[in-house]
Amino acid sequence: MKAKKMMALLLTAAMGMSALTGCGGGNGKESEEGKGADKKGKDVVTALLPPVSATYQDKITEYVKAFNEEHPDVEIEVTTASWEDTTQKLDVQVNAGSPPDIAFIGSDGVTKYLDMGMAVDISQYLSEEQMKDFDENVLGYFKNGDGLYGLPAYCEVQCIGGNREFLEKAGIDWKSVQQNGWTYDEFREAIKKGVVEENGATKTYGFLFACSGVTAKDYFSIFVKNAGFPSPFNEDLKYTYTDPKMVDFLEDLRAMIDDGSMPKELGAIDAGKRWNMMLTGQTMITGKGLSSFERSAANNNEMLKNGDADAVEGSIPVDYIVLPVPVFEGGTQNAYGAVDGYICLTGEKKPDEEHLKNVAEAAYYLASAERAAETCQELYLKPICESGRTAYEALPPIENKNEDNTKTVESLTKQIVPARPDIPAELGAKAIKIEDEVIVPKFQGLLAGEVTPEEMHQAIVDAAKEVFGEDGYVAE
Amino acid sequence: MGLFRNYYGKQKYKQYTRNGLIAMILIIVAVITLFPIYYMVISSFGAPTEAGGASYSLIPKSFSLDSYKFFFEYSEYSFRWILNSFIVAAVVTVSNVFFASLAGYAFAKLRFPGCRFFFFLLLVAMMVPYQVTQVPLYILVVNVLQMQDTYPALIAPTLVTCYNVFLAKQFFTSLPTSIIESAKIEGCSQPQIVWKIIMPLSKTILAVMAIMTFLGEWNTFFWPFLVCNSEQMQTIQVGLKNFSFANTTYFAPMMAGATISALPMFILFFSLQRYFLEGVTVGAVKG
Amino acid sequence: MKKKLKKDTMWAYVFILVPLCTFTIFTLYPVVSAAITSFQEYKPMGSEWVGLDNYVHTLKNDLFYKALWNTFVYAIITVPVSMLLSFSISIMILPYRKKIQTVFKAAYYLPAIASGVALSFVWKWIYDPMSTGLLNSVLGAFGVPNQNWLGSGNTAMASLIIMAVFAGLGQNVIIYTAALLGVDSTYYEAADIDGATFWQKVRYIVWPLVKPTTVFLAITGVINGLQSFQNAYLMTGGGPDNATTMAGLLIFNRAFKYFEYGEACAQALLLAAIIAVFSIFQFRLNSADVEY
Repeated sequence: MKAKKMMALLLTAAMGMSALTGCGGGNGKESEEGKGADKKGKDVVTALLPPVSATYQDKITEYVKAFNEEHPDVEIEVTTASWEDTTQKLDVQVNAGSPPDIAFIGSDGVTKYLDMGMAVDISQYLSEEQMKDFDENVLGYFKNGDGLYGLPAYCEVQCIGGNREFLEKAGIDWKSVQQNGWTYDEFREAIKKGVVEENGATKTYGFLFACSGVTAKDYFSIFVKNAGFPSPFNEDLKYTYTDPKMVDFLEDLRAMIDDGSMPKELGAIDAGKRWNMMLTGQTMITGKGLSSFERSAANNNEMLKNGDADAVEGSIPVDYIVLPVPVFEGGTQNAYGAVDGYICLTGEKKPDEEHLKNVAEAAYYLASAERAAETCQELYLKPICESGRTAYEALPPIENKNEDNTKTVESLTKQIVPARPDIPAELGAKAIKIEDEVIVPKFQGLLAGEVTPEEMHQAIVDAAKEVFGEDGYVAE
Repeated sequence: MGLFRNYYGKQKYKQYTRNGLIAMILIIVAVITLFPIYYMVISSFGAPTEAGGASYSLIPKSFSLDSYKFFFEYSEYSFRWILNSFIVAAVVTVSNVFFASLAGYAFAKLRFPGCRFFFFLLLVAMMVPYQVTQVPLYILVVNVLQMQDTYPALIAPTLVTCYNVFLAKQFFTSLPTSIIESAKIEGCSQPQIVWKIIMPLSKTILAVMAIMTFLGEWNTFFWPFLVCNSEQMQTIQVGLKNFSFANTTYFAPMMAGATISALPMFILFFSLQRYFLEGVTVGAVKG
Repeated sequence: MKKKLKKDTMWAYVFILVPLCTFTIFTLYPVVSAAITSFQEYKPMGSEWVGLDNYVHTLKNDLFYKALWNTFVYAIITVPVSMLLSFSISIMILPYRKKIQTVFKAAYYLPAIASGVALSFVWKWIYDPMSTGLLNSVLGAFGVPNQNWLGSGNTAMASLIIMAVFAGLGQNVIIYTAALLGVDSTYYEAADIDGATFWQKVRYIVWPLVKPTTVFLAITGVINGLQSFQNAYLMTGGGPDNATTMAGLLIFNRAFKYFEYGEACAQALLLAAIIAVFSIFQFRLNSADVEY
């Protein structure tokens, strides 16, 4: 009896709720219906996109409009938000099994979505011609095994950058470094010379890298590429970070802090602070350095020249010089290329073939030609597809671009680490987890002087033993 | 007569010294807590340029309202975002104050079968971290109920929160049961008791609940961001976050947006302050 | 009389109806769903039952214990400090005129409206590790050497705790003042006649009378504290050397960074169980002498 009464109560409550939510939603529902009528018969391709470049969000509206006009039966629907937020939204949507058709991600995320069974192999939906449009190595970043899961938008070389005046004052032949690179020993000497002391305190550091929180990962992964670890796995798919030469590499990094060339508070300096220190002359070289920092520095120089109060407080004119990462003993010169682009996803077990074809078409559209050219130009990069390069030539050139930087970035882009589609998704995911849970935390401790290189190496070995087994990692 | 002693005549200086000392402590703490707001406001008067990093200075260097203009011109929906936030926060606030005080009263003063069980259930649910409840909630609202891009999707999950029910219950517990008993003897029904006795006695806490709920809803970011894809259904917080770019930030306009989004809270706070300070005495109601 | 009682019961159910339904649909359902997932290897397109694997795996993970310990330290310091501070402030506000009281309350509470973005910029500036940082330059004036606040394992946790105390201050102050204003002035008058001192009045009148509020703040504080991860996520990313990795951060990473949603659910439920034990303990501790 009692139970029955309770049920009845709950039922009425549920009805009340639905009535409540129903009437509250008048406005929202109307607009939805309106949209639906619009799209009659059209296949909707959804895309979740971050602000890839400063004006990307404005331009995307035009791109999409043009695409929709060209393709009467397909419509791209875009949602934009900041970088971090799009990642979070995408991850919730993927967990919920309803991702957008296209998302803009870093290529290192491909394995993660593939492992969830949600990435779509688009190689069968693209023409041979369309795939050949992209530089092979860069396209490889979106491959795994035989599948192609997305298309790259650009390849951004992540290296370091210096203040020209300071470099020259320290007697560094930066043009030669740009062309020929430098060894760790040369680099260490150079940044020692860059230090300027005033009243017993350091006024200018030789080198500075943003390492606060999770960005410590950048410092490690960009530099480790030149220390003989182009990838966490060797050809036999054994984990390499356990190699004893890791200790030497970590000792080398530590030495630059102990020399006084880098601030000992490195681990708490975030990207904004480090750029502020660069512009205010508190460091000679900074990292990570992107090609587009040249523009950011030039903008500030312009404001300084005009006496604009909005120039960064205490800043000085800075000529930004792109520099390669030094090569450590036992390593070869590689460049760390962040390849970002459009991944194709599905939440259905048997997706509609026609729809997937449209998705692939839309992804190709976004990643190629004028779209690629304009995005790359804004990031001070060269496009990585043929159609993009053709379109790039037609764009009005950037004013006052430093040609030495342009050449350096171009040659570095050619040196980026080869893609490794042979690493199985599952293995890649394990390596990422070791990196996040062991390497980055220990590395933060190392920067703070609270963990020794040996301790960190031991922690990596222990973790690798547990995750990959006795035979899964390099011991000697 | 109050908690603090009042001094008279020659001893009056003691009161002044005491109050002065207390004021000093209070002001120091206030300076610390107010600092972020101060920083937010002065930064918003900077120019809407794409700065490499945040500006770190205590005194405004330039004064321009361009960033405010930039904020409103950034999207045609700037006003719509504020309106959306307002609608959602207002509905949620009203429903929370209403339903949470009813439920709080029931849990505090009425004895019914299952009373402890239901209350315990409410508390336990608060204890499961939202990181894991978010996904099923998203599946329910978006995949099952198909409510994305609607007001109900924004409102329904927080229509009445466990937190507010708990808050109301704790406050009503301290009201003397005797006045409820006497009201009952005079023939008041339960809704009448709530309306005529409990509510007037609890204006202070209901005002506190209102402002906290409104503020929480106004500032909430992630849920509206998850369930709204179209620009016109976004709330102000979601819109604001669009100012953060890859490696650079439109710093001043972001702060201008933050200042604009804070304004309604100022207004609400000061319009409700009357209730905050009305020290309701039980005696006054009785008489 | 019996009929009357029944009527009260009916009204009680009516009163809790809407909250209970909202709760069932939007809170209980996700919790139950998460509980089910904790026994699965979750994949959106077909999960696999793995029994207790997720729990076993979690309980074997050293990092989980470290995160629990960090979270525990964080909550056990933040909650009492924040409550004591806000209780004192609420009392200190009382001797002033109502206008001044409002100004102070506004000063403490309104910063909560500054969006998180502004707040995180300011706190990063405060904890700037270089000598130009706000906190370092203030301390430097007193001869304290430069501290690497968020960057060192020795100070990172303390820095996050200070931040949390100030961030939660305003809310606690307005809730406490609301409770204090509810204390009938006749109590004080009676105490004055008995010649009670200020401290006696606080101890024997104010403290017992605001106890339900204290219970509320303590329990919600502990729930929030033990679940917190936002600050660690934004300010330190859990570092250095996992010194500030909170259970909430771990769960977040499991669920969204590695897509190990099943294990995330298992960890979350274990955390919830710990929170429940704490809450029951607090209720027991406080309910001893609360009777009206």
